[in-house]
Amino acid sequence: MSSSTREEILRHLDAVGQLQPALHKPTQAPAPTEIDHTLYRAYTRSAHDVGGEYDVPIEYHEKEEEIWELNTFATCECLAWRGVWSAEERRRRQNVDVGQTQYLGLPYYGRWLMTAALIMVDKQYVTLSELSDKIEEVKNRHV
Amino acid sequence: MSKPVYDRTHHAKMATGVGDPQCFSGKAGDAKFKVGDRVRVRDLPDIFYTRTMTYARGLEGTVVELVYESPPAENEAWDNTEVSEWFYSVVFSQHDIWPAYSVGYPNDTLETEFSERWLEAV
Amino acid sequence: MSDHDHDHKPAPVVDEVSDFEILEVAVRELAIEKGLFTMDDHRTWTEYIHTLGPTPAARLVAKAWLDPEYKKLCIEDGVTASREVDIDWVTSPPTQFGTPSDYCNLRVLADTPTLKHVVVCTLCSCYPRPILGQSPEWYRTPNYRRRLVRWPRQVLSEFGLQVPEDVEVRVADSNQKTRYIVMPNRPEGTDGWTEDQLTEIVTRDCLIGVAVPKPGVTSNVKLPVMKAANPVPH
Repeated sequence: MSSSTREEILRHLDAVGQLQPALHKPTQAPAPTEIDHTLYRAYTRSAHDVGGEYDVPIEYHEKEEEIWELNTFATCECLAWRGVWSAEERRRRQNVDVGQTQYLGLPYYGRWLMTAALIMVDKQYVTLSELSDKIEEVKNRHV
Repeated sequence: MSKPVYDRTHHAKMATGVGDPQCFSGKAGDAKFKVGDRVRVRDLPDIFYTRTMTYARGLEGTVVELVYESPPAENEAWDNTEVSEWFYSVVFSQHDIWPAYSVGYPNDTLETEFSERWLEAV
Repeated sequence: MSDHDHDHKPAPVVDEVSDFEILEVAVRELAIEKGLFTMDDHRTWTEYIHTLGPTPAARLVAKAWLDPEYKKLCIEDGVTASREVDIDWVTSPPTQFGTPSDYCNLRVLADTPTLKHVVVCTLCSCYPRPILGQSPEWYRTPNYRRRLVRWPRQVLSEFGLQVPEDVEVRVADSNQKTRYIVMPNRPEGTDGWTEDQLTEIVTRDCLIGVAVPKPGVTSNVKLPVMKAANPVPH
């Protein structure tokens, strides 16, 4: 067993256990020398990699599905069916690229939805202006 | 600047009627490990994306199955399927993963998968 | 409705539509307008999802309990074994190449008197939808994903399952393209039962591994339900 790697891994898991979404607590821009290897590794980790992090028992739930959640799932799978993205690309975008604050803070299908919107813009199937206009238009249907 | 043009049919062409990962079968060449081999999980840089969990890095375990061939997740996450690798299911002792794992349960294990680049012979 | 409603200005309807609902409509309509997929594709997919649930997986287990040859096939080749319960991982989904997010590599993890399996996906919440339906909310939580790999016996006990000390607990972390279901041991008190009777006691929770089948128990562990504002009708 490579003990130095295991020691680093266990230190790393301790460090990321302290990370929280920084909603109301902006961090100061650090000097490069303030970010040692442990902090570098903690900050650049993939947000989805939560296995083994500390957590306390909670009450588990079942959940009714919102119509928009089912529609979002279908949209994401149709985007993959028709070759806009692969499932792995979707996972990378919605579980890692979103960053830890959104990862832990948004509902499960909220992240799927954000990512479906962004892939269309990133791959230039729609411009961000078109997306904004469409959101505004949909919103106004309900006023 | 012109817009990029993506081929949106390449995956469907490969996988229709065949399935994924079946569509990558035969593309990885000879497997480096076989069932029963002891392997160690490499602690490679995991900048931007990986599906090799942090908790598994540096661990030694036993290959229990060669599961399929596929592009590694790190490449497929950018829709790149040019190179395929063998994937292995590996079993670890819980006591090797977590130093404080309950001493009363010496036989507990964990099983998960790695693409070949993440494993080295012990 | 109270008698005093007329005293208040009705809330603008927009307040009753969430940002997610607005964005969902915008994304779906734009994708269709731009020809990324059709309205028909979306409807077809939604209808496909409505056909999914845990029954095929439960039936697979029941069949395996009754037929040792079939059990062997399940363990060796879960995808082929699934066809016996009318699930073709490749061609049942509308794509004809499997569901994009679930792939086509099912492994059936057979418990023994000395081995108990339980499934998690620590990296997202990979789940064998084509044969088991949509994953439960708790399976998707970071809490379950964080803890199951490290404190599996504690988490199992929270679901009411005490695993004896001499039984190995094996956590399967579904981190790549394989999807897992657990084949629990056939419980005592089911001698002479038909396939249909056996299927009924193999619940979703048994197939994830957080419960074991018991004669007379045909529903999942009872948990509180989070209500939806606009739930999918069933």
